[in-house]
Amino acid sequence: MPLGLRLSCGRRVKMENTGKRSAEELKIQELLGAFLVSRENLKSSAAETSYHLDEDSLAVFAEGNLSERESLPVVSHLVDCGFCRHKTAELVRLNLDFAGADQRIPVEDREPSKISEVLSGLLAKIFGTTDEAVFAHQEKESDEKTAEDDEQNEETK
Amino acid sequence: MQSATLNEEFLSPYEAYIEGLFSRCAENSPNFGVTTEQFKTSVKNTLSRFLQASTEPASETETLEFLNLLQADDLFMALACANGNERAWWEFDHQHRAHLERIARHLAKTEADAQEVIECVYVELYGTRVVNGERVSKFATYSGRGSLRGWLRTVIWHALVDLHRASHEEVSLDEMTETVGEGMAHASFAEPPPGGEGEVLDQIARNRYRRVTLLAIQGAFASLEDHEKLLLLYYHVEQLKLREIARLVENEASPLRGSFQRRLQSREKNAGGRIHESTIMRWLEKSYSKVLALFKSELESKHGLTDAEIEICIELATQDLAGDSLFQNLTG
Repeated sequence: MPLGLRLSCGRRVKMENTGKRSAEELKIQELLGAFLVSRENLKSSAAETSYHLDEDSLAVFAEGNLSERESLPVVSHLVDCGFCRHKTAELVRLNLDFAGADQRIPVEDREPSKISEVLSGLLAKIFGTTDEAVFAHQEKESDEKTAEDDEQNEETK
Repeated sequence: MQSATLNEEFLSPYEAYIEGLFSRCAENSPNFGVTTEQFKTSVKNTLSRFLQASTEPASETETLEFLNLLQADDLFMALACANGNERAWWEFDHQHRAHLERIARHLAKTEADAQEVIECVYVELYGTRVVNGERVSKFATYSGRGSLRGWLRTVIWHALVDLHRASHEEVSLDEMTETVGEGMAHASFAEPPPGGEGEVLDQIARNRYRRVTLLAIQGAFASLEDHEKLLLLYYHVEQLKLREIARLVENEASPLRGSFQRRLQSREKNAGGRIHESTIMRWLEKSYSKVLALFKSELESKHGLTDAEIEICIELATQDLAGDSLFQNLTG
């Protein structure tokens, strides 16, 4: 599923049927499905709602972990806001794709590497410079190192 | 809504419990350097949101259950990472980086996109923006209500959407979503012009039936409860599969699950067990039956239609669906 930008423009034409339902019920099911898709396509979801759910709430809802107390306004919002609902649907799919991948990896007891080792390369790549602004302590270390090198060079000379 | 002062007052009985959570986390991760105060502030903020989510006061049991469900160790790690703690970052990287990369590769079109997103997310997690002299880390927005990995998946997903938007500047995600189906919305009825007087009358009657059918289906849907509406929207609009919806309500505390089970309590066996696809189908069927009943009632009471006429409405609507013309005048 590339990028999760699946747009819901289709209609669920072939519905599941348990075999116990009347022809009238099946017709209303199809009618309702078509109505909901048409209704959604006409709505300007972003303009309709004054706010959108934050990432934390979206994640908690998609995991099914939102408390009932908190869920009432969220469910109500998702009914009206196609933008947030679409996100939760994509996250549900994503969570299902990665079900069982949430086990923690035991961390070996060894000396941790510096945060700068993880991030400095990334920052340099993104900002096109070194990570001076963020890692002041590292700047100091590198300055010291440069100073040492300069001293050695001086001595050699 | 409870005021901040009231909340502070309300939160005080839970101090000891929150301190207990902190002690457990600090014991599990002694090198993370999170202070009691920082941890308590974060948990209290989350608890305040929980309390303010409803005007009904929360019971002590409900509140303790909420606290008990918090992913305290994940929150502890997030707070430590927000502080820039070296050990916490190392553990975070060790435990979650492979997972983040898998998600990014799964979602992104190219390896380069996946790498770019991972890099952006790491930078965002660390935080490069400084407000009032303090670095703002994305980790500070994690509440501990859900798993850290679930939250990270959301962050990655958003980052990829942003990346996609940036590379398709001319069409935003909103616009893409909004414009789908617009052509259909503004199309006119593709019907041949009526011939003789009989046909004209027939056409008038048909159009009346169509109009009231549309109004009745709108009214029936509007009368449903929010959890029923959301279930139908997930199934028909978002095209979630039954097993995907089942996953959404897998957690016993899931609000959607709770709402349906309360309504169908007498008939739901194994209310605390696993939710199967057949259960979701049953919930959908209940919703369809309710819509049908409301639809008929609306046609009868509001529009004065007889059973035979209601049957005509359903029949006409079904025929129209084949040509997709029924809802073309939804805005009209």
